[in-house]
Formats: sequence, structure tokens, C-alpha cells
Amino acid sequence: MRDVLRAEEVTVRFGGVTAVKAVSLALGAGEILGLIGPNGAGKTTLFNAITGFAPMQAGRVTLEGRDVGTLPAFARTRLGFGRTFQTERPFEELTVLENVLVPAFLTEPRRREAERLALAVLGEVGLADRHDQPAADLNLARRRRLELAKALAVTPKVLFLDEIMAGLNPPALREMIALVRRLAERGLAVLMVEHIMQAVVELSDHVVVLASGETIAEGAPCDVMANERVIEAYLGTD
Amino acid sequence: MTTHLVGLGVLVVVGAVYPLVFPGALTIAIAVLLFAGWATAWDVLGGWNGQVSLGHASFVGLGAYVVAIGASHGIAPWWALPLAAVAAAVLAYGWGWTTFRLRGPYFSLSTIAVAEILRLIAINEGWLTGGATGVFIATLPEPFGIDLFSRTAQFYLALAFAAGVIATVIVVSRIRFGYQLRAVREDEEAAMAAGLDPTGVKLRAFMLSAALTAVGGGLYGMVLAFIEPHVIFSLLLSVQIALTSIIGGRGTVWGPAVGALILVGAGEAFRTTFAQANLLIYGVLILAVVLFVPRGIVGELVRRHVRRRYARRAQS
Repeated sequence: MRDVLRAEEVTVRFGGVTAVKAVSLALGAGEILGLIGPNGAGKTTLFNAITGFAPMQAGRVTLEGRDVGTLPAFARTRLGFGRTFQTERPFEELTVLENVLVPAFLTEPRRREAERLALAVLGEVGLADRHDQPAADLNLARRRRLELAKALAVTPKVLFLDEIMAGLNPPALREMIALVRRLAERGLAVLMVEHIMQAVVELSDHVVVLASGETIAEGAPCDVMANERVIEAYLGTD
Repeated sequence: MTTHLVGLGVLVVVGAVYPLVFPGALTIAIAVLLFAGWATAWDVLGGWNGQVSLGHASFVGLGAYVVAIGASHGIAPWWALPLAAVAAAVLAYGWGWTTFRLRGPYFSLSTIAVAEILRLIAINEGWLTGGATGVFIATLPEPFGIDLFSRTAQFYLALAFAAGVIATVIVVSRIRFGYQLRAVREDEEAAMAAGLDPTGVKLRAFMLSAALTAVGGGLYGMVLAFIEPHVIFSLLLSVQIALTSIIGGRGTVWGPAVGALILVGAGEAFRTTFAQANLLIYGVLILAVVLFVPRGIVGELVRRHVRRRYARRAQS
């Protein structure tokens, strides 16, 4: 049953340029969908259109059957979309805990309960011991974890990860892969835009390949990697 | 949290005995307290929420006019002050609703216009406001035999105002609303990803800030007893309120109050000691803070404290 998130025929145009052309995808609970493609393929644009951060010219987005495609981004968040940003966007002047408190307050309006939820999420991503550090002082790997913690603290049904593995060193990458797997096992639907093939292959149940705004292949990770059109899109023809 | 409550306690205790110790220096103290309250109220929007207003004189003037016009129609200040707060919140709602869609400096620029519009209304609608000459508060009721024109009574009212606004901010800084304010200030898109409606958060901040400012404006009207539109709606007053908060430390509980003590206090001291040179020194002080402590005086202290506390924890 792949019906937690459905995007149907999503099209995004910027002026005369069509960045995403009628792309569809579907995702069920506990499933991980990898969205890959060469630079400029429209992955982040599609991602933004689904989450409400970019306007969509045509198409439908549903969350558990409910049409959310016309709602503003914050309303989609409240209904169960948690997202990270490709370039991490912590609230720099706040501490790590306070950063996570902001989304935690969505489900827990009272400070004490919100703090408990935020600390639990920080424990999950391995940042609990840094909770009173100013967010501006975190290194890259920890900023990524904080970004993930903020997305998890909205208690989402669908988790959108935008290149959360990029730039991590091998141990940090392994930890992040294990973390994402745990989240899916807990029943979260995960849509991830990712360039790190190790993460895509190890994690994805299903892969969608975009090139020039269109789906050129989809299926199980190993099948997709062997697909000639995919190789062509990445490496070009000779 | 405890530090803030201790600070509030010190303010109230020192304030309570101040008129007994310095009965001759009440006017300056009233000015410090009013500016402390206004700057703290301004900071709800300007510091905690990051939306710089250069038009808060609008709410000061609105409060003053509501109390003055009310007094001339036999409406007691304790009815006029809440009325002024509501009127200011309504004005802030309308104004914010039209201007918060503008990103960048446009909101700040638009705020200058609003005080100007109110000034023109005050000058031209003479039947209500006394026109360009202004409006005079001739009588005020005497609750429990207290003369509201006396400087001592006004001092305690100003003290209650400043302490009340600071107490409000202490609460706000702890609760959900306070974190929503900061999140929107830091990054509107990231705030949306955390489920916040940035425009709604800014509107609520603006309404609270305006309502609190108007209460102080009403008290100011009673202190002046004579309200002139070009004084009360002046850009200078708006800028002073903003600067008080910026120099003291935006987005901190005590920064604006410390700013008021320094700017109003120093302004007064310089005026008597240096006469002509006082504006120069005032200007140099502002430049020094902007250049060397851009977070403001208290802002810098708080930041160092947070860093030190974390460093200590990390070592142990």
C-alpha cells in the first residue's frame, strides 16, 4: 500500500523553463524512496513543490488521501510533512535544544512536554549531550543531525531529506544511513534526494531517476543503476 | 529565569523607595521608566521577532490621545488605557496585514509613514484632537484621593508600566510564542518547515508590542498633560525608542531597560554637564555601540554567558 504520499503529474515552471515535467511518485509507510539524477535534474525543485516551498503549476499532492497540493508549506508541515534543507538552516542564535523546541511546540504546546519531546528527538539523532550548545557553533555533521532532529520534531508521517548525506566523512555517513534506516523501520515514509550512491543503494526500497525534469527510470536500486538511460544521463553518450 | 525574577524584584524594590530618597529627581526617573517600557515593548517585535519598526511613536501618540480625549469626555484613565491598548493592537493588525508581505527593509520604511499619517490626522481633525495646537488634560479623577497629576503618583504608574512590560517579556521568552518569534526572526523558511505561519507570528508580535507601547503612551499623556501632534508623533521619538533597544541589546529581557537607563540618564547628564556638546557625545556613544557591540550591551553579555556555560559543561 503506497498511499501515504502521492504526487501525481507534478509540473513546475520558472518563467519559460519547465523544471519538473509531470512527475509522479508514491510512497508507503516504512518505505524509503530515493530520488536521484544529475545536477539540475529538478530533484530539489520537485521536493520543494511537494512540500509547498515552490509553486506547482499542475499536478496533485496527497497525504493519506487528502489533497494538500494547494496548502501553504507550514500547513503541510502541521499535517505531517517534515523536511530538511540541502544547506542546513538552523536558527543560529538559538541553542540546539531551542532549535528543536520550535517544531516540538507544534504537537506539545506546553514547555515541559515540548522539552521532553525535543530531548527524545535529540537523543535519537545523537545530539542530546549538545543540547545547550549554540547552534551556530556546530560542525557540519552535527548541523545535519540538528536539521534532521528539527524535521523529526514535527512528528511527521513523511520525512523529506534533501541531500542529508552530502559531505559527511565515512563514519558519519554510516551512522546517518543507520539512523535513516531506523526511522523507516519505525514506520516513517522517507523521500530522500541523494547523490551518495552508497546511501541510495543501501537504503532505498524504490528509486526514481530524474533527468531534465522528467522521470527516466524507476524501480529497485540495482535495476535502476544498470539501466542504460540512467548511465547515459549521468555520464553522457560517447 | 531566576535571574530575571531577581532583576524584576530589584527594579520594584528600588523603584518603591526611589521617590523617598530622590524626591527631586522624579521627572527624569519617569522618563527612564517610560522609555524602558517602550523599548522593551518595541523589542517584542524589533528584537525577539526581528521586524524593525521606526514608527512606534504612533502607538505612544495613540495612547496619549485616547487618554487625553477620554479625560475631556469624563472617561477615567483606567478605562482609557485598556481602550488605547486595544486601539493600538487593531492599528497594528491592519498595518501589519498590509505590510508584512513586503520582505526586507520595506516594513521598516512603511512604519515611518504611519506615524506621519496619524500626525496629519491629529492636526486636521481638530474637532476630536484639538488640531495643531494639541489637546490639554484639564482634570483627572482622583481614585482613593490620589492626585494623578502628582509626579509621585505618575512615577509609580510608570514603574508599574515598565515592570509589567518586562514581566510580560520574561513570560514570553519562556513560552511557545517566544520561540516562534525567534524562529521567524532567524529564518522564515525554516520556521515554515517547523510548521509556523511567519505572517501570523509577526502580526501577533506587532499587536502585543503596539498594545504595550500604547499603555505607556497613555501614561506619557498624563505626565505631559498637554499633547502636541508634532511632538508625540515625531520620527525622533520613534528612532529613540528603537535606538534604546538596539543599544541596550535587542532580543534580551533587560537590554532595552538598560538602554533606557544609559541613553535617558546619560542624555540628561550630558545636557547639564556639557551643554552644547551633549548631542555629539550621544552620537559618539551610539556609534561606539553599533561598531563594537553590535548585539547591544546586554546582548553581548548574554552571548558570552551562554558560550561560557556551554564550554564549562563540555569540559566537566
